[in-house]
Amino acid sequence: MTLGNLGTAVALVALLVPGMAEAKTTPDGTMPEASEEFVETGRQTYIKRCSFCHGLLGDGNGPAADYLDPRPRDFTLGTYKFRTTNSGELPTDNDMFRTVSRGLPGTAMQAFDNDTIKNGLSEEERWQVISYIKTFAIEFDDPELDPVKTGKTLSLPANRAPYSPELVAKGKEVFEKAKCWSCHGKTGRGDGNKEFRKDDWGFPIRIRNVTHPWKIKGGGEAEEIFMRFTSGINGTPMPSFVKTLSEDDRWALANFIKSLQHDLTKHQVLAALTVEGAVPDDPADEAWKNAAPMDVRLTGQVIAPPRWQNPSIEMATVQAIVNDKEIAFKMTWDDPFKDIKHDPAKEMNATEIQKVGLYSSYVAANDMIARDLETFRDSIALQFPVKTPSGTKKPHFFRGESSSQVNLWIWNADLAEQGEEATVEANARGWRQAPKPQKDDQRQVISKAAWDQGQWTVIMKRPLVTDDKNDVQFEAGKFIPVAMNAWDGSNGEHGLVMSLSSWHYVFIDAGIPASVYIFTALGFILTGGLLVWFARKAESTPQTDASEQT
Amino acid sequence: MKSKINSFWTVVLTIIITYLIVKFAIPALSRELTGMPFPLPVPSALIFIYMVLTLIAMFLLVTFDDKPLNDFMNPIKRFLRGDFSKPVRAIGIVLVSTTVGWYVYDITVPKVAAPVALRIQHPSSNFPNKMEDLQNPMTSPTEEQVTSFIEQAKAGEIQFIEQVVPDFEAWMDETGEEDPLLAINTPAIKTFRAALEADNVSAETARAALLEVRMFMGRALYAMNCRACHGDSVAGDGPMADGFKLRPINFTDNGTIETIVEGYTFWRVQNGGPGLPLEATPWDSAMPEWKVSLTEEERWLIIMAEYDLAEKTPRIPEKH
Repeated sequence: MTLGNLGTAVALVALLVPGMAEAKTTPDGTMPEASEEFVETGRQTYIKRCSFCHGLLGDGNGPAADYLDPRPRDFTLGTYKFRTTNSGELPTDNDMFRTVSRGLPGTAMQAFDNDTIKNGLSEEERWQVISYIKTFAIEFDDPELDPVKTGKTLSLPANRAPYSPELVAKGKEVFEKAKCWSCHGKTGRGDGNKEFRKDDWGFPIRIRNVTHPWKIKGGGEAEEIFMRFTSGINGTPMPSFVKTLSEDDRWALANFIKSLQHDLTKHQVLAALTVEGAVPDDPADEAWKNAAPMDVRLTGQVIAPPRWQNPSIEMATVQAIVNDKEIAFKMTWDDPFKDIKHDPAKEMNATEIQKVGLYSSYVAANDMIARDLETFRDSIALQFPVKTPSGTKKPHFFRGESSSQVNLWIWNADLAEQGEEATVEANARGWRQAPKPQKDDQRQVISKAAWDQGQWTVIMKRPLVTDDKNDVQFEAGKFIPVAMNAWDGSNGEHGLVMSLSSWHYVFIDAGIPASVYIFTALGFILTGGLLVWFARKAESTPQTDASEQT
Repeated sequence: MKSKINSFWTVVLTIIITYLIVKFAIPALSRELTGMPFPLPVPSALIFIYMVLTLIAMFLLVTFDDKPLNDFMNPIKRFLRGDFSKPVRAIGIVLVSTTVGWYVYDITVPKVAAPVALRIQHPSSNFPNKMEDLQNPMTSPTEEQVTSFIEQAKAGEIQFIEQVVPDFEAWMDETGEEDPLLAINTPAIKTFRAALEADNVSAETARAALLEVRMFMGRALYAMNCRACHGDSVAGDGPMADGFKLRPINFTDNGTIETIVEGYTFWRVQNGGPGLPLEATPWDSAMPEWKVSLTEEERWLIIMAEYDLAEKTPRIPEKH
């Protein structure tokens, strides 16, 4: 082999490493002239791919619309949220191209770029659809309203200072000065308002929790965040700050918002921190700082009726601390409203629902789910198999099944508020029947909770081992499956209207067995011994080979 | 410029490069080929086999002749004899032994990583044989259905599933049109309407239009019931997909719905996760038992639309 060949091989490897294709946000060219045929082809695509949410009339009332939160855009008013134009103006063609191409993260509007989606739309097809969508609003026909021709477009700062702690600190000052917190909350969790806000169509809207990047519809990069408070978000209470904040201030603010974004952990195993002394039962205990967190993604419960497509809680962070007798779990999750009341009379009877229906939290359909404050409580549950599996076989992550039951620890905000023990221990064998609470004298979980600035923290503590055959038993060195259920009361969640997670694991360190050290030492000694022996042998062998090269 | 390197370094470099390719380049390439946002790593058992093959090849190369064998052995012999100085030899021996010791430690020490569960994607152990030959009644309408469709169209009373009716009614109210088919108006429907007007509708023309109507209803049902997880482009990337450890299937992938017969797709939609046998880890599957909430016709309509959106065709049942 030659060094030349080697270089080629290395170059080849380097060539194969680049990342996946990113959805394009800017088109190769401008929008083609919208001939009648061009628009008609766009209509065909619209009927096939868009109409089921956006409706045959483009009014955002397709058959699937009532399942979605946020609702599909109503094209007939020409009111578009994500633009690069002045507040209240129409979007540019490129703005629409960007949205169709890469979608709106965290919503049902997904990417249609055929570079990222195999059966997506080509650039021409996307332009065709856009040309058809524009026919829904007469505003697009009026040249005087064209933001490009009238010079109402916005652009990014020419000199964008790179992300730095100083820039973020300056952005924080802007955040205070511009009172962003009055809606978005001091920590950006969307908890600034004491009641729901509504959009121009009268639908209650969530104030964005800017710490969850996967939910930032306009995109989570500083450039994209900058554009949101520069252009404002039409149809919502989000204003444009173009007149009140300088460009530099807005750029700093964008970087501050970016700095608030939560970085999701990737692991599926929660390693419990082993301590010598007592296991903490207070959310504010310093010991929690040392326990490694695991982020658990949750999503709507769509497995059983009523299938819930509008979950509120999409992530909870879990930690665990253990000593030789007890284990404590700490769960932290964002929820802008502290819901501490519960009205059982308003609960829906999900067992009678077989048909998929409109159980969207903001639609009055069926009058079944009230999305209201002070109706339902916030709640969270940990779920474990009663029998820790020895192989891979587990109960189903959604409440187990008749042959293998799960143990649930269900914490309820209303009970906590009343000063009672808030965690109910229960057992379930599938979702068809509500979890069966254990008798009072079998309850051993002690819990304590705190709500602060749009965030709940709940601690649940229990002895590692109990004498109840319906309880999970914690044994060191075993992977114990754990899953979560969560309810946001003011989102109408209760019963099977909830968020849930798949199985993760909790692991209690059993130390390293002595055999590991023995094998390691053997490996080291044997190899070393052999090499030394070879060396001796080589030294004692006379140097016969004269043709040795250097 | 070509500079010759001896067979010892050829062997060492070949082994390193092969390892890098198997470990990193193949997963990276897989991402390019599949277009999926995650790589497909080479299983460790396969890495082992590839590396053993490489070692055998290197052994053959080196022992092919005395010359390369000497080339290969000399640096080792000289190192062991201490020709590169005794301290270098001592450091080398310690380094090699430590590496072996570390490797042994690494493979024996208990790790806090999720236990791996192997999963069979298309299990057949409990798939009822009689479902193998099922044909989607929605893609193959009977003569009576076609005739009835023509009658409905003539009377202006096309039967839609109730879920899409409000949208058609709103459309007719707003536009003043009386024929809901005009709202869909794909080329096949245009041809059908023209033929209807001229009063020379062939069964073929009507059949094509009926399929379009059914496809429309199937897509609507998909958007209502399946989209949240499987995504509006059936790519397994719906807004709820990230919440599941076992991600919803991407139907646009080769090796998913095109490798199975329609009866199998129907069986999976009907029985969901709980209907899976143990080898397919039913406890991780979020797929609902749709027989609880969707009629048989609705399930077939969805399957029809799903294959169409994914641009795939089902496998043809084998002849018995």
